[in-house]
Amino acid sequence: MGRKLQFEIFRFNPQDPLSVPRMQTYFLEETDKMTLYIALNRLREEQDPSLIFDFCCRAGICGACAMVINGRPGLACQTQTKDQPAKIILHPLPVFKLIGDLSVDTGVWFREMYNKTESWIHTNKVIDPHQQEERMENEVAEQIYELERCIECGCCIAACGTARMRDDFMGAAALNRIARFMVDPRDERSEDDFFEVIGTDAGIFGCMGLLGCEDVCPKQLPLQNQLGYLRRKMGITAVKQLVPALGKIKLDKLKIGKFIPGGDK
Amino acid sequence: MQTYYSDLLVVGAGLAGERMAIEAAVNGFDVICLSIVPARRSHSSAAQGGMQAALGNSVMGEGDSPDVHFADTVKGSDWGADQECARLFVENAPIEMRQLCAWGVPWNRVQAGKDYYFKGGERFEKEEKKEKEGLITARNFGGTAKWRTCYTSDGTGHAVMCTLDNRAAQLGIRIMDRKEAIALIHDGSVCTGAVVRCLRTGQLEVFRAKATAMATGGFGRIYKATTNAVICDGGGHIIAMDTGVVPLGNPEAIQFHPTGIVPTDILVTEGCRGDGGTLLDVNEERFMQIYEPEKAELASRDVVSRRMTEHMRAGKGVPSPYGEHLWLDIRHLGDKHISTKLREVDDICKHFLAIDPRVQLIPVRPTQHYTMAGLRTNKDGACYGMKGLFAAGEVACWDMHGFNRLGGNSLAETCVAGGIVGKKIVEFLQGYEVSFGTKEAHDAVAKQQDRINALIKRRNGGENVYEVRGILQQAMMDHCFVFRNHEGLSKCIDILQEALGRARKVGLTSDGKGVNHELAAALKLEGQIKLGLCIAKAALERTESRGSHNREDYPERNDRDWLNRTLAVWPEGADMPSLSYEDATKVFELPPGDRGYGGGKIIPADPAKISGKSAVEAGNENGEDAKSGGAKSGSKKKS
Amino acid sequence: MAVNATMHVARPGRRDACLDWLQMLSGASLVLFMWCHMILVSSVIISPKVMDAIAWFFEATYMAQLGGPVIGIVFLFHFILAARKIPFTSYEQKTIWEHAKMMMHRDTWLWVVQAVTAMIVLIMGGIHMWVVLNDLPITAMKSAARMQQTGWTIFYLILLPMVELHVSIGFYRILVKWGVISNKTRPLAKRGEYLLLATFLFIGFLTIIRFLTLAIH
Repeated sequence: MGRKLQFEIFRFNPQDPLSVPRMQTYFLEETDKMTLYIALNRLREEQDPSLIFDFCCRAGICGACAMVINGRPGLACQTQTKDQPAKIILHPLPVFKLIGDLSVDTGVWFREMYNKTESWIHTNKVIDPHQQEERMENEVAEQIYELERCIECGCCIAACGTARMRDDFMGAAALNRIARFMVDPRDERSEDDFFEVIGTDAGIFGCMGLLGCEDVCPKQLPLQNQLGYLRRKMGITAVKQLVPALGKIKLDKLKIGKFIPGGDK
Repeated sequence: MQTYYSDLLVVGAGLAGERMAIEAAVNGFDVICLSIVPARRSHSSAAQGGMQAALGNSVMGEGDSPDVHFADTVKGSDWGADQECARLFVENAPIEMRQLCAWGVPWNRVQAGKDYYFKGGERFEKEEKKEKEGLITARNFGGTAKWRTCYTSDGTGHAVMCTLDNRAAQLGIRIMDRKEAIALIHDGSVCTGAVVRCLRTGQLEVFRAKATAMATGGFGRIYKATTNAVICDGGGHIIAMDTGVVPLGNPEAIQFHPTGIVPTDILVTEGCRGDGGTLLDVNEERFMQIYEPEKAELASRDVVSRRMTEHMRAGKGVPSPYGEHLWLDIRHLGDKHISTKLREVDDICKHFLAIDPRVQLIPVRPTQHYTMAGLRTNKDGACYGMKGLFAAGEVACWDMHGFNRLGGNSLAETCVAGGIVGKKIVEFLQGYEVSFGTKEAHDAVAKQQDRINALIKRRNGGENVYEVRGILQQAMMDHCFVFRNHEGLSKCIDILQEALGRARKVGLTSDGKGVNHELAAALKLEGQIKLGLCIAKAALERTESRGSHNREDYPERNDRDWLNRTLAVWPEGADMPSLSYEDATKVFELPPGDRGYGGGKIIPADPAKISGKSAVEAGNENGEDAKSGGAKSGSKKKS
Repeated sequence: MAVNATMHVARPGRRDACLDWLQMLSGASLVLFMWCHMILVSSVIISPKVMDAIAWFFEATYMAQLGGPVIGIVFLFHFILAARKIPFTSYEQKTIWEHAKMMMHRDTWLWVVQAVTAMIVLIMGGIHMWVVLNDLPITAMKSAARMQQTGWTIFYLILLPMVELHVSIGFYRILVKWGVISNKTRPLAKRGEYLLLATFLFIGFLTIIRFLTLAIH
């Protein structure tokens, strides 16, 4: 017990005309089972109340506290200081707009994403909730949930080389969202409909396969598998549109359009 | 001044908030939803367990009905619930689950065939029926007669939150995140919006609306140890109380969960104990069987929390830099069970404690978990005392939970009550017009700006906000926790009175520019201490033990004198809340009786008073039979 | 319905999908070609005669005369397609460089390596092809004579690892992008990729040494 931790924290308050982007050093004695949640709050309450950072559930469930921790995007609340070197360097997530210090605006980015991907069930059925619900295989429900687990922390976007270079790239979070609705039998969108949304370089064909998203996702979503699956599916959809005769081929029989649920890790 | 207009302003975009917003938007009203955090980060998403609704699809839920659910809920509340609301809730819950299903919640479904489950560490077998295959299934939860809790794996709140937020996006509802309401705009009787601090720029903005709905969740953060998110700080309660007319219902009704981890106070599920986990003390010895020979670790939440506290007071707690705690032992459940059925617990242990529960003990202690207390509303969700102000979800005291809520009932309440209140808001808005005066908005903003300036310029003094908040949080832990007594509560009031004085002299140490968190904390500090005082005062006055309110000096439940609800109002300029009381419920569908668990003596109510309010009319005997039948099966299962 | 929910009415259609297919197919065919190419030149390790025989076969069947320029065109075509993703502006270059340094993430670095080697291969590979195709037929003696000049020795000592890096990383990433490699098989695939790289580098350097030590009549 009792390492002296050195924090190098990015500081910039856009609302303060005198503020300039800089790194600021803080020291703190490490305590048993200390997380960055504990450490940062102690810094704010004991040393510098002007520090800006976000926490919400502080249990790794809500995704509010994503930041770059010694170079890697991750959730601060579930980062133990004992797993880090004595010098801990903290930056805000790139790509997202900076609110101040370590806090970034993920809310607006994701809300725009909902609209781009039309992140809701598309159906023409009128459902009366007083009647018995439509049946669904439990396995399908679990597959949907596996992809629904995204907490929109933004780590995958910050870890994506493409997203950093290109503002219009949708990123793994959005593509995963599409995959979630593709497996959902309640959504009546066709492959062609989904192709409209993600069949471009801003969508699945912009992905360069760097796998930063896969390796930083704090919820261990099967992003690599989903991205690969979507590329095949959308690639084949494009070919089918060009050569309609191929449309009769059942993807699943060829095993190339097979859904790979997560949990491999 | 940036001013936004809408028909309905919803403060809070968790499940209850978005559910109300959706109802209004579907009916053609313009809605704005405010949220301190992006909507999906709302604390609703942290609920893992599920939502109680009597669908009865699982074989373990056979014979379930809203009546059985009703009996469970009212008993759970220790007869503190408003039985009209409880009835509305249980009848609407199954419909709401199906509605959520249609909107996209991936509920777990019934799988036909044999399967096994654990109870009290023992293994049992069940066989799900073929004809129910693919319908919404349910899991077991504490205090219920049937398996009734609908779920999606271990992330029900998250999944439902995603679905409602998707639905809100589909409807084009304006969800504006990083906006914190810091005052309501009202004339003493009609509410017409709020003054809002933008958490991107720190600027004040005005939101005007014909109706305003509060959905800001609980206020667990006035306790030092709470399972609540840091945003559950009572902001909504404070601005409503600041009107001087809106009462807080049952402030003394606060739930404590036995197994929050130390440090960080994250919840580990009751399933640990349900599946056979044990509690150990500093000598790594079991102790619950000493206090509760029959149920041991499997006694109800309030009872276990009570016993754990007693044991630590007896000097058997484990010291740590983060205070005393006890151990939760699930090592004997084995690797397979832990990595499948208790996956979330395993994750929490790994990420937040860096321990492996297969070989190590989990440090736990009772932790504040839920506020049954809240803004008192009528069954339509309209706040007392203020026209145009509504509330739903944990922020409200609607009041189906009374003095203790059942697991799975709160998450369900967010959507069910959100839907019901949403419809009532629609009815209210139809044909309702109001004129927005610019003066009242200007005055309200000026008042808030003045508060902010005073804090930044340290005009009233230089007290440290975190220090004073620390005093509040510690006092709540010391005196308004699991056990309460006259002496402690009186002392608590003294401490908080002093803290209130200091809170009024707070000044910032930072410059307060932009989205300054110290300023945000300072703005609500006085209100938080007032909330603490409401709890302490109401708890001091309530000389009985009911549900989670345990008076050491008054251990019996006193239906004769205390079958009622506390209403706490904070008149402007006052230093203490003024308390009044109303009957717990207007009608008694289920007359007060023994809960069937928890023990304790009951001082019975005057029978004439109860039968006079009995809802069951003559000629409805079948209905009554069903109800009492349900009640019977409820208590039988629990014993 | 959200106000801006229909913002993607005008879509570029199937253009991006087709270009992505072509990038993958051209890349894959170049990977295949490079392996064949390696078989041809490394046959010199066994004997210059074997190499001459294989070269004669390509010559006699006109595969060298026609195939050479075709490969050259595919080579350029692949570059043009892949260039859509390569950072050319200084802003992009600075961003991706900072990103790679920040992340310290292997697959991100691999991509940077691929982008850098692409530029080198484009220039050096172009020169190589020009020289070789202007001096058909290919024989072991002519190759040896060229490689034994100091300038060309250095040239091939640089070109070889650049090509092999680009090819093996490219091959791995085609499989990743199109989902042939799943998260389960990724560690294995990564080892395979390194093995492939090491093998080809080993054979390649052996071939260069053989050329350098070949006596010229």
